[in-house]
Amino acid sequence: MSARAATGAVYDRGYRPYDGPRGGRRAATAALYRTSLRRAIGLRRPWRQKVAPAVLLAIAVIPAVVNVGVGYLTRNTPAEGFEFITYREYLGVSSALLLFVALVAPDIVCPDRRQRVLPLIFARPITGPDYALAKVGAIFTCVFSFSFLPQVVLYVGQMLVTKGGALAYLRHNTAVLWQVPVAAAILALFYAVLGIAVASLSGRRMVAGASMLGVTLVTSTISGILVRADGGRPGSGGHPAALLNVLALPLRIRDLVFLGHLHRDSPLSGVAGGGALAVGAYVAVVGGCIAVILSRYRSVEA
Amino acid sequence: MASIVRAHGLTKRYPGVTALDAVDLDLPAGRVGLVGANGAGKTTLFRLLLGLSTPDAGSVEVCGISVADNPIGVRSLIGYMPEHDCLPLDQTAADVVSTFGELGGLPVRAARQRASEVLDLVGLDEARFRPVGGFSTGMRQRTKLAQAIVADPKLVLLDEPTAGLDPSGRQEMLALVDRLGSFGIAVVLATHLLDDVAQVCDHVVMLDGGRLVTDAPTDTLLHQTGTVTVDVGPNAVAQLAAALGARGLAVTTDDSGMLEVTVAGDTDLDTIRDVVADLGLPLHRLTNRLTSLDDVFVHRAPAP
Repeated sequence: MSARAATGAVYDRGYRPYDGPRGGRRAATAALYRTSLRRAIGLRRPWRQKVAPAVLLAIAVIPAVVNVGVGYLTRNTPAEGFEFITYREYLGVSSALLLFVALVAPDIVCPDRRQRVLPLIFARPITGPDYALAKVGAIFTCVFSFSFLPQVVLYVGQMLVTKGGALAYLRHNTAVLWQVPVAAAILALFYAVLGIAVASLSGRRMVAGASMLGVTLVTSTISGILVRADGGRPGSGGHPAALLNVLALPLRIRDLVFLGHLHRDSPLSGVAGGGALAVGAYVAVVGGCIAVILSRYRSVEA
Repeated sequence: MASIVRAHGLTKRYPGVTALDAVDLDLPAGRVGLVGANGAGKTTLFRLLLGLSTPDAGSVEVCGISVADNPIGVRSLIGYMPEHDCLPLDQTAADVVSTFGELGGLPVRAARQRASEVLDLVGLDEARFRPVGGFSTGMRQRTKLAQAIVADPKLVLLDEPTAGLDPSGRQEMLALVDRLGSFGIAVVLATHLLDDVAQVCDHVVMLDGGRLVTDAPTDTLLHQTGTVTVDVGPNAVAQLAAALGARGLAVTTDDSGMLEVTVAGDTDLDTIRDVVADLGLPLHRLTNRLTSLDDVFVHRAPAP
């Protein structure tokens, strides 16, 4: 043994008090948001947990890439300028978004209740509404990103392959620059509060996920039956029962954002004040979900 | 010593039961044992200290801050280790502890650094990157303690920290709790194990059925009884008892076969020594008998 090693010592580093900057309630909420977002997109988690966000992103972006590719290949042909998908149609139509929310919202909420982490979280400088805000914010960020990013790919791609040049494309499509983020935010808010509200009602991820899918499936089925039973057909008068289709509600608002009115193929298009009714139903569902979330986290067992 | 917790007339009722009944407390900074049987009101008191529950009457302050007026401010000063399992099982110990450091208000980098330090402190430095779900009970208890102290709280509330631990794990946990006091962190240790409190706490609060039984320094409770215990081995007990009785000392035999002798002063102790020497017996032990916390609890708690 060397002389240096012989004179070595084991140091007990003990405990060092912390005297650096310290955040309060807002910092705690931001920390919970970051943790939830990381969990939602699978960071610091096994590869299995990264599959859902990766697949969703791929499914969401592929149509944009294909559309841009077709535009590039047909730029000097009679088919030039053909778009098989528009910005409006591209937003929120993928059922992958629904599956993602049904999978991820329970994953960032249910274990906290089932594994009794909530008392530990609420022993920190954080309140029930802060917790709800962090969780809804995490899902909102995911859904917004996965809705907005493909639109960016589509827009930038179209700019680059358009025969008239990027600036000309930009001049002719300026409205899209605000329509897409606004519509994506409306869609993301709807999915986020609905997903967290349903997930907050159960401690089991499977039950919560199935409930989320069940809510959308049952409401769309009932709505379809009522619309058809009363003779309503898309584009032929419409029926207020279409409002019961929870999954389609944000798409109606999306149409209002892009078109200024309901699309003619919408089952609500012939209903007097259909647009206002759609906005009212959207606000009611979002408000109801927020009320459910807040009531679920108002009191926590320590 | 400055007060860390002050309560006045603290009362909490649930349907059909009064969990805390007009409790007055003035807990000094240091290691305080909160003793009581299951249902005595220990966890309810913790909930009130954290501002997770509202008292039906009375008031409570932590570090001079009213819990009713500023629960968020109070929670910024408190670390909490619940009795039950409460850790996210699919996360590593490092992630769990650093997350709770961030929730306690630490910046991200500081939280990760302190998580590493406190996991080292509680003996989990080698296991910090393993998922908590694969931990033993002792390792989970250590992780719970680490998350409670990672944000450098002024006060730590420990709810049954030795529950489920084997004897060596229990001793290690108590040693950690003992060290917290030396770090300048006030500790309130809730337990129904009186030995744990006697071992590490400077101050004892006893609750029974929601009522305060005792609130006093441990030293004043564990006073001398005027009795000594004499151990000369099992074969000579009767012989020594007879000899001491012949010298006028009151002698009884306890459950473990040792003699308990009532003494009035040093003269009686000299007498015991001389008798043992005259009989040629081996003197294994001659100690003052102290009151145990069990004695205090049994004598002071109201009869059911």
